[in-house]
Amino acid sequence: MLEYYNPSKDLGTPAILSEILINIEIDGKSISVAEGTSVMRAASLHDINIPKLCATDSLEPFGSCRLCAVQIEGRRGYPASCTTPVAEGMKITTETEKLAKLRRNVMELYISDHPLDCLTCPANGDCELQDMAGAVGLREVRYGFSGANHLDVEKDHSNPYFSFDPSKCIVCSRCVRACEEVQGTYALTIDGRGFDSKVVAGTDQDFIDSDCVSCGACVQACPTSTLMEKSVIDQGQPEHSIVTTCAYCGVGCSFEAQMKGDQVIRMVPYKGGAANQGHSCVKGRFAFGYATHKDRIKEPMIRDSIDQPWRVVSWDEAFTFAAAKIHKIQAKHGRESVGGITSSRCTNEETYLVQKLIRSAFGNNNTDTCARVCHSPTGFGLKTTLGESAGTQTFESIRKTDCIVVIGANPTDAHPVFGSLMRRRLREGASLIVLDPRDIDLLATPHLKRAIHLQLRPGTNVAIVNALAHVIVTENLLDEDFIAKRCATAAFESWKAFISLDKNSPESTESITGVPAQKVKDAARLYANAGNGAIFYGLGVTEHSQGSTMVMGIANLALATGNLGREGVGVNPLRGQNNVQGSCDMGSFPHELPGYQHVGIKAVRDKFEAAWKVKIDHEPGLRIPNMFDAAINGTFKGLYVQGEDIAQSDPNTQHVERALRALDCLIVQDIFLNETAKFAHVLLPGATFLEKDGTFTNAERRINRVRKVMPPLAGLADWEVTMGLSKALGYEMNYDHPSEIMDEIAQLTPSFSGVSYEKLEQLGSIQWPCNDEHPLGTPTMHVTDFPIGKGNFAVTEFIPTLERSSRRLPLLLTTGRILSQYNVGAQTRRTPNMTWHDEDILEVHPHDAQERGINDGDWLGITSRAGHTVLRAKISERMQPGVVYTTFHHPGSGANVITTDNSDWATNCPEYKVTAVQVEKVTQPSRWQQEFQASDKRQKGFLNKRTRHTADNL
Amino acid sequence: MRSAQEQLIHMVNQIGENNQQGGIESAATFTSEHMKKFWARSMKEDIINYLKSGGHGLSETSIAAIKKL
Ligand code: SF4
Ligand code: SF4
Ligand code: SF4
Ligand code: FES
Repeated sequence: MLEYYNPSKDLGTPAILSEILINIEIDGKSISVAEGTSVMRAASLHDINIPKLCATDSLEPFGSCRLCAVQIEGRRGYPASCTTPVAEGMKITTETEKLAKLRRNVMELYISDHPLDCLTCPANGDCELQDMAGAVGLREVRYGFSGANHLDVEKDHSNPYFSFDPSKCIVCSRCVRACEEVQGTYALTIDGRGFDSKVVAGTDQDFIDSDCVSCGACVQACPTSTLMEKSVIDQGQPEHSIVTTCAYCGVGCSFEAQMKGDQVIRMVPYKGGAANQGHSCVKGRFAFGYATHKDRIKEPMIRDSIDQPWRVVSWDEAFTFAAAKIHKIQAKHGRESVGGITSSRCTNEETYLVQKLIRSAFGNNNTDTCARVCHSPTGFGLKTTLGESAGTQTFESIRKTDCIVVIGANPTDAHPVFGSLMRRRLREGASLIVLDPRDIDLLATPHLKRAIHLQLRPGTNVAIVNALAHVIVTENLLDEDFIAKRCATAAFESWKAFISLDKNSPESTESITGVPAQKVKDAARLYANAGNGAIFYGLGVTEHSQGSTMVMGIANLALATGNLGREGVGVNPLRGQNNVQGSCDMGSFPHELPGYQHVGIKAVRDKFEAAWKVKIDHEPGLRIPNMFDAAINGTFKGLYVQGEDIAQSDPNTQHVERALRALDCLIVQDIFLNETAKFAHVLLPGATFLEKDGTFTNAERRINRVRKVMPPLAGLADWEVTMGLSKALGYEMNYDHPSEIMDEIAQLTPSFSGVSYEKLEQLGSIQWPCNDEHPLGTPTMHVTDFPIGKGNFAVTEFIPTLERSSRRLPLLLTTGRILSQYNVGAQTRRTPNMTWHDEDILEVHPHDAQERGINDGDWLGITSRAGHTVLRAKISERMQPGVVYTTFHHPGSGANVITTDNSDWATNCPEYKVTAVQVEKVTQPSRWQQEFQASDKRQKGFLNKRTRHTADNL
Repeated sequence: MRSAQEQLIHMVNQIGENNQQGGIESAATFTSEHMKKFWARSMKEDIINYLKSGGHGLSETSIAAIKKL
């Protein structure tokens, strides 16, 4: 794959995707480079470094500073090397007396309007203006500082993470271009001309009031200290850096953690990161302060009942206490009365160890992960149709996509760096189809050429995907050749007969979905005729009672149009958390060992039994919702939860709370006293991604290294904690480093057999499958065949959800995320990201608001058949009348008090995205919220009043 | 909200309902295989016992599927 950036050097202008080579001569050196490459880049590639200020290799050249002037044989004047492409036979000179003088003059002009406070400037030592003054040999500034200048312009500190000091600005417009080209937000402009020109955010607003989404691209692009991280202003320049992976979303951006000792000064997106190529969002870039927040749990704690204060104990005492409780439960209630939940936030190695502990030390398959509540239908649906539980492409592949289809996802908020890449492709001319009940920001992409929004009613996904397929089949837009060669014939024929039925036509489904038939036809034709059509989907697909059916419906579309097996196409689930893909791969599900190997298959068990030296149960275990039901029934009594907050994130909160209260032993391993920990008997401190080694696997199946940059605050990394607990339970594990765990994973998991830390060091990252057949990994899946041989069309009958609006509950609630907060918010709520979103609100359509006399900011009671909660109102036209919307980042909002016990038929993934509700104005919080506040206060009190005991007085 | 038992009944019915394309017999086979592959031992036992005790609320497909467990 093409390297777009050289991570260690700024080559001045971006790489060009051409295979034609051009021969030139620079300073007498013969050079061959790709056609279209700039003279500056060509020179830089061969270590001839032409001075530059307005050019940087993440941005298109602009040619404004003229510092990069060169001489070209046969051409007049001094062309800018950044904007001049190479031409066959070109002879270039980069250093002459004349050029040196010219460059000094340019620098002199810049410096004459620049404060000379280098020694006290936060960019001192990391300033391109300073570097260039040195490079061109600037020795005097003849113009003096007495004339008109910008030295007294006011600073803007409104953004919580970076400052804007216009007195330092050289108006190179790198920030403006970064915001446009890299981020795609267009929040900045250059206002005025000549001497008066200046950088302006929004309509000459403070940054915080503008459209800026705080991605940091402008800060990174700025060659001076004009745009500068506040952490650097406060603490000075970092002194060393370590490359690691963001622990927020499934994009899996690589970052340089820039450090002073063991303190992170800033996180800078790493240009060599294959998933993000030097870009970032506000979460990964800035919201890392939670790692050292005062609320971090730093000591193991235990208690006999959840109505008692915590007792601080040693690690060993905590392990012994937990193990004794688990053994006692199993002795009384049986081997299957306990289980565990692995974390989609922890590393692959840690997740692997937790499921290993459950299968070995607990002796059952009662293991599950939060993917249950997000992407389990992806696993089922893609495995059934394509044979593998994973997305088919790299993110980069979208650069070859002609039609982008986004279903039930909001990439600019939930997967922001990939959202920016999407926007770039849309600006370049790709068309967009969005299937979503809500008007998402992607539809407002500047310079978007063609877009169709199918604004369907919540709960009607399968009806609309069938209608799209119906058009493709009946208008003969099928890729017959692909189907004949790559798909199972009988399955195709029965699908074709089914999908051609009139009940699946756009006209017949219009009354169900609310989407005009013509729009559906236009969208189907657009996708099928595009050339390269790629589908990206999120939880708006999976979190339904027909989540798995919808995933299969999406795969059907790709199979029918031959949009699989090459770059630019594919079916791509956008994973929510950093390691959802990894936690599924690592055997977290109760029916599958690592690598999706079913526990019922004897040969699979034999292999694991030989390696683990235990007997593995051949029956699947309980899934999360089944564990809750069993707990309430009294048959499930002990649970080990690593890095998940089921009390906040799972649906029907009151049901979950009842289940947790019914447990005799709840072991929670987390970095904070999260909502689940309030029901725990053992609290084991977790470590953040900064405190341990390991790997995360992103939505592209890309295994990225996580590197320890500081020691674990509580002394142990999570994998060490699991080992300690396992040992106390009587099943010893012996690893000295996570790389040894990966070696074991590779030995037991066919799709990981070629993965090792050594190879990760060499390659930077690896997309599984990585084995003898694909020793360097697999960027694009299903190129020649499917893991199940032929692609398998699945019949996708639309069965309406039971959750329907009625006279009593006339509105449909759907949920989603916001850029600045992350899932349950435990991390982002403990950072200045609260500036953007300090509460969850309910978006109500003006029509529904008017009927109920609701105004912006009113308190609204929201009632479903599961419960009642209160949120503030925001009038919004993003949804159609009849649909209300909220986010779920704050525990006190009780968004999940109202979600119900409906779930996907195949996987039990909860139906978060459709809840029938009534909304009315109220004056006080709901009863649940009042109780929540009281219990929150009590539990925090138990933490604050924690006592210290030694083993003797336990 | 459903009790644990009601939830099991709902789940098995739902699997059958979503896989009716080949008729009841094939839906029952699918449902049964699905339960074998994805349901915990205790859930299968509970639903078998429930059918033995009358099986009120189970669909025709579910009844046939549970009998195949
Ligand atoms: S932080 Fe990002 S969004 Fe904000 S102005 Fe800079 S580039 Fe634009
Ligand atoms: S703020 Fe920085 S990047 Fe933007 S124009 Fe000024 S110096 Fe250039
Ligand atoms: S896009 Fe995702 S992985 Fe990248 S910085 Fe943002 S939260 Fe982190
Ligand atoms: S770097 Fe080429 S004109 Fe500025």
